[in-house]
Amino acid sequence: MSEKHIERSYDAASQKMIKKADEENIKIAWDRYDAMQPQCGFGELGLCCKVCNMGPCRIDPFGEGPQEGVCGATKDTIAARNLARMIASGAAAHSDHGRDIAHALILAAKGEAHDYHLKDTEKLKRIAEIYGIDTQGKSIEKIGEELGESCLSEFGRQHGELRMASRAPAKRQALWRKLGITPRGIDREVVEIMHRTTMGVDNDYKNIINHGMRAALADGWGGSMIATELSDILFGSPKPIRATVNLGVLKEDQVNIVVHGHEPTLSDVVREAAKDAELLELAKKYGAKGINIAGMCCTANEILMRHGIPSAGNFLQQELAILTGSVELMMVDVQCIMPALSGVANCFHTKLVTTSPKCKFPGVEHMEFKEEKALEIAKDIIRKGVENYKNRVKERVDIPGEIKGLVAGFTTENIFHILGGRYRATFRPLNDAIISGRLRGAAGVVGCNNPNIRHDWAHISMVKELIKHNVLVVQTGCSAIACAKEGLLTPESAFEYAGAGLQEICEAVGIPPVLHVGSCVDNSRILLILSEAIKEGGLGEDLSDLPVAGAAPEWMSEKAIAIGFYFVASGVYTVFGTPHPVLGSENLTNYITNELENVVGGKFAFEADPIRAAQMMIKHIDKKREALKLPPLMYEREPVRMSNNG
Amino acid sequence: MSMDYVIVGGSAAGVTCAQTLRKHDKKSNITVISDEVFPLYSRCLLTYLLAGSIEEDKLYFKDKNFYKDNNIKLYLCKRAVSIDRKQKKVSLKDKTKVSYDKLMLATGASPKLVDVPGIDKKGVFTVRKIDDARSIMKMLDRVKKIAVLGGGLIGLRDAYALSQRQKEVTVVVKSPQVLSQMVDMQAARIIASVLEKNGIKIMTGVAAGEITGKEFVEGILLDNGGKLQCQMVIIGKGVKANTELASSCGLKVEEGIVVDEFLRTSDENIFAAGDCAQTYDIAREANRINALWPCAVEQGEIAALNMLGKKIAYDGSLSMNSVDFFGLACISMGITRPKKEEDYEIISQAKGDVYKKFILKENRIVGMVLVGDIKAAGIISALIRNKIDVSSIKHLLLEDTFNYAKIMPLVRKFQERFKQEEYKDTVITY
Amino acid sequence: MAKDLLQKKKTKDIKIYCDITKCVGCKSCELACAVEHSQTKNIFTALREKTLPKKRVRAENVSSKIISLHCQHCEDAPCIKACMSGALSKDEKTGATLHDKDKCVGCWMCVMVCPFGAIVRDVENHIAVKCDLCPDREDFACVVACPTGALFVGTKEEFEKKIKQKKKG
Repeated sequence: MSEKHIERSYDAASQKMIKKADEENIKIAWDRYDAMQPQCGFGELGLCCKVCNMGPCRIDPFGEGPQEGVCGATKDTIAARNLARMIASGAAAHSDHGRDIAHALILAAKGEAHDYHLKDTEKLKRIAEIYGIDTQGKSIEKIGEELGESCLSEFGRQHGELRMASRAPAKRQALWRKLGITPRGIDREVVEIMHRTTMGVDNDYKNIINHGMRAALADGWGGSMIATELSDILFGSPKPIRATVNLGVLKEDQVNIVVHGHEPTLSDVVREAAKDAELLELAKKYGAKGINIAGMCCTANEILMRHGIPSAGNFLQQELAILTGSVELMMVDVQCIMPALSGVANCFHTKLVTTSPKCKFPGVEHMEFKEEKALEIAKDIIRKGVENYKNRVKERVDIPGEIKGLVAGFTTENIFHILGGRYRATFRPLNDAIISGRLRGAAGVVGCNNPNIRHDWAHISMVKELIKHNVLVVQTGCSAIACAKEGLLTPESAFEYAGAGLQEICEAVGIPPVLHVGSCVDNSRILLILSEAIKEGGLGEDLSDLPVAGAAPEWMSEKAIAIGFYFVASGVYTVFGTPHPVLGSENLTNYITNELENVVGGKFAFEADPIRAAQMMIKHIDKKREALKLPPLMYEREPVRMSNNG
Repeated sequence: MSMDYVIVGGSAAGVTCAQTLRKHDKKSNITVISDEVFPLYSRCLLTYLLAGSIEEDKLYFKDKNFYKDNNIKLYLCKRAVSIDRKQKKVSLKDKTKVSYDKLMLATGASPKLVDVPGIDKKGVFTVRKIDDARSIMKMLDRVKKIAVLGGGLIGLRDAYALSQRQKEVTVVVKSPQVLSQMVDMQAARIIASVLEKNGIKIMTGVAAGEITGKEFVEGILLDNGGKLQCQMVIIGKGVKANTELASSCGLKVEEGIVVDEFLRTSDENIFAAGDCAQTYDIAREANRINALWPCAVEQGEIAALNMLGKKIAYDGSLSMNSVDFFGLACISMGITRPKKEEDYEIISQAKGDVYKKFILKENRIVGMVLVGDIKAAGIISALIRNKIDVSSIKHLLLEDTFNYAKIMPLVRKFQERFKQEEYKDTVITY
Repeated sequence: MAKDLLQKKKTKDIKIYCDITKCVGCKSCELACAVEHSQTKNIFTALREKTLPKKRVRAENVSSKIISLHCQHCEDAPCIKACMSGALSKDEKTGATLHDKDKCVGCWMCVMVCPFGAIVRDVENHIAVKCDLCPDREDFACVVACPTGALFVGTKEEFEKKIKQKKKG
C-alpha cells in the first residue's frame, strides 16, 4: 500500500529489498533517517562548535541570540573550522589508504608478502621517475622498494613539495606556490588543520579554507594519487573490461561472499583466493555450484576495474545485499561501512567479518588481514563463508533479478590508447573533439549515496542531462555504480541518451558516453586526465581553462568534501547536491561559491536538483569554451535553456 | 429567574450536567437523584479497584465536597420511579415528590444478563456498581478460579482486573474472537495472545449453557458439552439502557431514550444524556447509543446548556475505547468492523505486536484501530470528528512518525472545518 | 526576561507558542522539558535515573519547517471530558489544563482524544504526561532553553502582537 520503497530509491532491485525490510520489520538506513527528523538546524548550518570545553556553542542564525562563541569565534570562523575538519577527515581516510598500498608495495618488493606481485612494471618505472629514482640497471624489486619508501616518506615529509604535484600543469603549480598552498607533506597538512582549528588558533575563515585546500591537495595529488598509482603497479593497470552490477549478481546456487570497503590489498587477494580448488571442492560438497565474489562500494570498483568482478551495489545497498538472504559472508575493511550491518546480518545467516584493526564492530568476529599472509587469511575468510552456505535458509532467499552490464576500466593511460588508436597514444582526438565542437566538454560525476535524496536518481538524471548535451562524463565510486545500474556505462547507451556529437565519438572509438575510471581514490586519475588534456594543447594552459566541471550530487562522506576541495583547488567548478554545512555563514558560503574562483580558478555550487545542477555545469563549460574562443558546438546551435530561475 | 433543575442519575452525565448548570446559573435550584450508595465515583475505575491497583478513596472523579461546594442538593440511595409530566414532578420510591422546570434523565444502563439456569447462585456477578465490586472483593478469598462470560471490552477488563489478584481466569466467548464489536480478527489475535501469555485463558466459540453448584457456584457447563470448574462467574455481556422511567411516562424510546440534536426528548422540558440516550453517531451517520464515559460527559454538558436555554446543538458522539492489558495498549474508534468492506477503503499494517488500521469512506476517516502504538489516536480522532478529507496525507497514516505536524497543512487549508479554537493557535506562524 | 516569565505565571490563558519561522529543530526544548521533569533536574544525573524522565514537547517537521508542539491547554479540553478518574481538570484561575498524577490510572482515554497528540504515555509509571507549564519553577524550561527565541509563552493576543511586530520590523 505505501509507495515508500519507490520514493526511497530509483533502482528497482533496491526498491524490492527496501520493501522486504519493511515487511520483515528490519530497520535500514532510510528508516533511521526518517526517525532522525527533524535534524538540527545548527548542525546543518555549520553553526555548532564543540571544539572546546567552554562550549558547546551555537550561533543564532536569526541574529537575536549569541553571535559569537564563548571564545569570540564568529559564525564564519566556526563554520570554516568545521568544514576544514571535514577536509582533514576525508583526506586522512584517502591518505591512510594510500599509506597501506605503499606499505604493501614495499612488502611485495622485498619478498615479504608473497601474494602480492609487481604487475605493471612499466608503470612502476614511470612513477619511479617522478620520484627521481634511477631505474637504469636496477631490478624491478629494487625499484619497487625504493618507490614504496619514497611514497611513504611523502606522508612524513615536512618541507618542499609533494612529488606528484609536479604532474599538474606548470601554470597551476605556479599558482599554488604563489598562494602558498602547494602541499608539503601528506600527514603534515592534515595535522595542521587539526592544529589550526582547535581552540584559539586560526580564526580567519579565508585563511582556514586556504589551508584546507592545501590539505585537500595533499590528498588528491598525494594520498589518493599514491593509492591509485601504486594499486595499478601492484594489481595491474585496468583495461576496458566488461562487468555486471546490482544485486542480481548474487547467485542463488553459489556461495556468495561480499567484499565491502575500500582497499584492494584485501579485495584483490580475495578474488584470487576464491579460485582455490580446495575451497571450490568444499563449496560443491555443501551443494553450491561455486564461490561468487561480489564487491560493494569502492573496493568493488577496484576489482571491477581490474578484473571485471561484479559489484552488488553502492553505499545505500549494503544492508540490502544482506536482505537478499543469499550472502554467506560479508567481509569489511575500512570506510563507508555502516555500523548497522551487524544488526541486519543477525536477522539472517550472514556472517559479518571485520578485517582491519581500524574498523571493528562490538560482538562481530575479527579476522585480521595481514599482507604477509594475505592469501592464507583470505582463504580462511572465504572458507568461513563456504561453511556458512549450509545455514542459508532457502525460503528467505530473494535475489532481485536486476543486473546490468557495463564497460569499466578506463584510466588516464588507456584513454590515450583508446582515443589514439592502436598506434598512437595520445589525447589529441579528445582535445580535437572538444575544440571542434563535437564534444562540448567533459564532466566528472562522482560521489556517494544519501537517504536525503532519492537513491541513484540524482546521479542518473544529471549524467543523462550532461551526455544529452554532448558532455563526456567520467565517473568514480558509488556514482559510477548508480549509472551503471541504469545501463549508461555501455557503448550502446550513447545511441539512446547521448547528443549527436558525443554519439559520433562513442561510435568511432567504441567507448561508452560515460567512462568508469575507478574508485574514490581514483578521482586522482581525473586530475591527471585533465593535466594531459592541457599538455596536449589547444585547451588553455591551466586546469581552470578547461571546459570541464565536477559534481557530487548525492554526497554523504567527509571524503567527498576533501575531493571537492582538491578539484576546486585545482581549478574545477564543482557542484554538490545538498550544501556543505556552511550556509549559516554568508561570508564563508560566498567565499567558497564565489570568491574562490578568483583565487584558484575553481569554486563550489550547491544545487540539489540534478537537472538544474547539470545545466549549471553546462553553462560553466560553455563559458570556458567562450573564453578559449572555441567555435560553437557542432550539433547545438542554441545555448542550453536553464529551467525556471536560470 | 430561579429555576428548578432536576437530574435523575449521578454518574458522568448527571454530574457534568449539574456542574455545567451551576457554572452558568448561580441562583437556581439544582437537584441530583442517585440510586447508588456511593456518590461521585467513576464506575470505569471499578476494574482498577477490583485489581487492587487503587483504594476506594481514589474512585472519586470530582472532589468529595462537590455537591456541597456547588450548592447542589443530592438525594443519595433514592430511586426515581415515575414522572408526572403534566405536574412536572418526579416521584421517588419513598413517595417523595421532586418538582422540576427542566428535567434531565441520566439513568444510565444496566448489565445484560444471560439466560442460563443457575444464574441466581451465589458467586455470579456483573460489574457495574460499586456494590458489585465490594461483593466480589469480599468473596475473593474463597475463590481460586473465575469464569468470565463475554469477550467484549467489559468482559476482558473484568478478566484482566481479576487476574491481577492472582486468580485463574478463563474468558468464555461465543464469537471466534475477543472484542468482536471493537476490533477485527488480526488485532483481536494480538490482544488475545498477550492475555494468554500472561495467564488468562480464552475459550472462543463456546458459551455457558448452565451454571452449576448448590448454593454457591461450582462450575459451568459449556454448550459444547465441556465443563469448567470455577467458584465465581462474572457476566460481561454489555449493557442495556435504563429506559423504563422514560417509557413509563410516554417518552419516545427505542434502544435508548430518543433525543434530538439539543438532547431534548419528545417532551420539550425533559432532556436525556449518557448511556441511556440515543444520539447521533458522527462516524456511522445514524443514531445509536455510545455508552462511553467521554460521550456521557460531553452530552451532560450540552444537555445542561440547552436546559439553560442556550440552544447548543450536539455534533454527535463517536464510539471510542481505550484498553491496556499488560502494557499492550489498544485504541479503537468509529466504524471498525464495516459490514460491507467493499464500500470502504481500508489502510492497514501489522508488524509484530503493532497493528494499525484505518477505515475510510470517500477519503474521510470513519474508523480506526491501533494496537501497540497508540500515539496517533488523538490526531485521528480529530480527523474523524471533523470529517476531514485526508487524501493528501493518506500515505502518512501508517508511518511511525505520524504526528500532529503532519496534518497541519490540512488544518491550515481547512481552518473552518476544525472546530476547536486552538487549531488556529498552532498555525499562527504557518 | 526572568521577571517577565515570573509575571506570566500569574496570567490567565497562557500557553507555549512556537514561531515556526525560527525553529531549527535543535530539540533543546525537548531536552530541557525532560530534565525539568526529572527527579534531579540536572541533565547529567537525569540520564541515570531509574525511570528516565519524559519530555512533553516535541519538535516535528511541518512541510519544510519545524514546529515545537505543546499541549494547547484548550479552553474546552477534550482530555478533561475523557478522563474517567478526574485526574485532568481545568485551573479556573489560570485556564491551564492540570494533570494530577496521583489520580491517573493510565487508561489512555486522554491520549485517545487529544487532537494535538500532546499527551504521551509514561509506560514505566503507567500514567499520562503532558505539558504542565512548569509549576516547580519561576519560568518555563523550554522557553528558557530555546536558543533562537522561537518559543514564546503568553496569551494568544500577546503572541499575535509579537508576530505582527516582527513582520513590520
